[in-house]
Amino acid sequence: MTEALISDGPVARIPAVNLSSPLTMEGNDVADAISGESEGDPTLNNMIAIENLRLWYGEHQALHGITMNIRERYVTAFIGPSGCGKSTLLRCVNRMNDRIADCRIQGRVSLDGMDIYEPKVDVVRLRTRVGMVFQKPNPFPKTIYENIAFAPRIHGVAQKGSEMDELVETCLRRAGLWDEVKDKLQQPGTALSGGQQQRLCIARTIAVRPDVILMDEPCSALDPIATAKIEELIDELKNEFTIVIVTHNMQQAARVSDYTAFFYLGALVEYQDTNTMFTSPHKTQTEDYITGRFG
Amino acid sequence: MSNIDLTPSIRRRYRAEIRFKLYCISAVAFALLFLAFFFVDLVSRGWPALQQAQVRAEVSYSAAVEAGQYRKAIDKSLRRIASRGWLRTLPLYLSEHPERVGEKEVLWITADSAVDQYLKGHPNTLKAKQRKLADRLYAEGKLRLGFNWDFFTRGDSKLPELAGIYSAIVGTIYVLFLTMVFALPIGIMTAIYLEEFAPDNRLIRLIEVNINNLAAIPSIMFGLLGLAIFINFFGVPRSSALVGGLTLALMTLPVIIISARAALKAVPDSIREGALGVGASPWQALWHHILPLAMPGILTGSIIGLAQAMGETAPLIIVGMIAYIPDEPTNVLEAATVLPAQIFTWAGEPMRAYAERTAAGILVLLAVLLSLNGFAIWLRRRFERSW
Repeated sequence: MTEALISDGPVARIPAVNLSSPLTMEGNDVADAISGESEGDPTLNNMIAIENLRLWYGEHQALHGITMNIRERYVTAFIGPSGCGKSTLLRCVNRMNDRIADCRIQGRVSLDGMDIYEPKVDVVRLRTRVGMVFQKPNPFPKTIYENIAFAPRIHGVAQKGSEMDELVETCLRRAGLWDEVKDKLQQPGTALSGGQQQRLCIARTIAVRPDVILMDEPCSALDPIATAKIEELIDELKNEFTIVIVTHNMQQAARVSDYTAFFYLGALVEYQDTNTMFTSPHKTQTEDYITGRFG
Repeated sequence: MSNIDLTPSIRRRYRAEIRFKLYCISAVAFALLFLAFFFVDLVSRGWPALQQAQVRAEVSYSAAVEAGQYRKAIDKSLRRIASRGWLRTLPLYLSEHPERVGEKEVLWITADSAVDQYLKGHPNTLKAKQRKLADRLYAEGKLRLGFNWDFFTRGDSKLPELAGIYSAIVGTIYVLFLTMVFALPIGIMTAIYLEEFAPDNRLIRLIEVNINNLAAIPSIMFGLLGLAIFINFFGVPRSSALVGGLTLALMTLPVIIISARAALKAVPDSIREGALGVGASPWQALWHHILPLAMPGILTGSIIGLAQAMGETAPLIIVGMIAYIPDEPTNVLEAATVLPAQIFTWAGEPMRAYAERTAAGILVLLAVLLSLNGFAIWLRRRFERSW
């Protein structure tokens, strides 16, 4: 269990899969969508498996038995109207909900086959494997360099000096930020523009080499150009990371994701590959939402 | 355009607005007036204490003086003019410097407070004969009003011309240092626990409510608590800087806890989540990210809390720090007094010369408090951050 958590990034690298092959082989409903186990197709590995997850904030039940699998190295989008539980579900995957005092959880969330809610799971280690990018860019009010170097340093991943310099550069390059900030690494990260800040946050997240990156409406505070850059980045990062993105923007879900899950009132309504979802959804509720008839 | 005729009601509303504004302005003006009156009065009363009558006299360090007949050190005619208290220090001085016995020296020596008050034109007890003498000496340039160094270099005295704030200042430094040593770590750590780690349950809420209430308790209660716990139970010496520091620490704790919690609360949650999100432990998130951001606020609150403690008199009355303590303490267990306590003591003295010393003492205390608060404001401005 804990061995798995220290493991140095994903173990097996699987070649890209034909996206047109639907997640659900035959069925039209959620039950089929979620049962899409990887047994049939060995190239489809489930990074995250959520089984009958129920969650309460005090007396209020926010999630009603969610069951779904999230594919390794694909982008999965969570869509749905406000308050449908998509962010709540996202925050279950790195146990950010632990911070909320009256939050209770039943069910199972497993990462690479390991139940992350087992008592012996170390939350700190879990969060190095499941990184998170938040709605509002939240760079640390320190230098750009320090923003990236903080996590590797506390985890002892890189030594101070040239090793760290290299790591910082690599992360900034992969976040597509290097050329913009290479001359001002010692300036505060908070002085960057919103889009740059968000890419800095992504760079900070990949610095600990997680398996999964959770993104909670990462573009909702950004202008269209900055949004396009982030989307481009997501497209590149999915070669290496499993990405789960919560978004209010249906076009965005259609553009960046491979799979899309539609939530409504704390329940998973439909979960399909993105093409099917946006061209021929199986549920009328989904169709109504996607076409803007409600939500 | 509205279809309703608003003209009369709008005029009325504007008039009400102007009236209300005038009330507010006059309230501010009143407050400023009081403040101005307070300062002018204090300065005009306290200012003379910075000057002290001094008389030019030939001091002979004779053997008789060393033996204790200190009045023989100066000419007989000046004995009513010079300060008896000053002359009384000579035998001790000579016993410490025996090589000077037999020498003579012309010095400006401190004059009696009656002479001092006479020179300043204040009511005094000087007799007609001595007034004449003083006038003559003054005309000859042998009597003057010089800068009152004694006020800053001497401790309390029963002779007003020799009374100073030195021992009170030393005592204040001791007490405030101890208050800081006890209250800062406990207060900040309590705030950190309550704000960052404590679960949200009934017990914690009870503790929070009580801390908030403690901040509003009359300070004399803390004096009683200090008396009961530190003096009666733990046997800390009465009047000592230690018991004063501990008592004031008790009093300052709630203020420090509340302000430190407010500073921690002001750090946005997104910073915590950002740090936790990259796998920092709660302690690392706190140490690397939250504390540095909250520190200016914590320090500002602590300085204001300490400044409040510095001006506090009531709890110190109970633990015996209001007493005649002429000598500065050399360690935390010796009897000490503090500035406000010294001011309180002088305020009760009937002699006129003490009144001006009281005002001067208040001026010194005010100057220190204002600079402390100014420093706190500077800190807050310097590190202020908007999210």
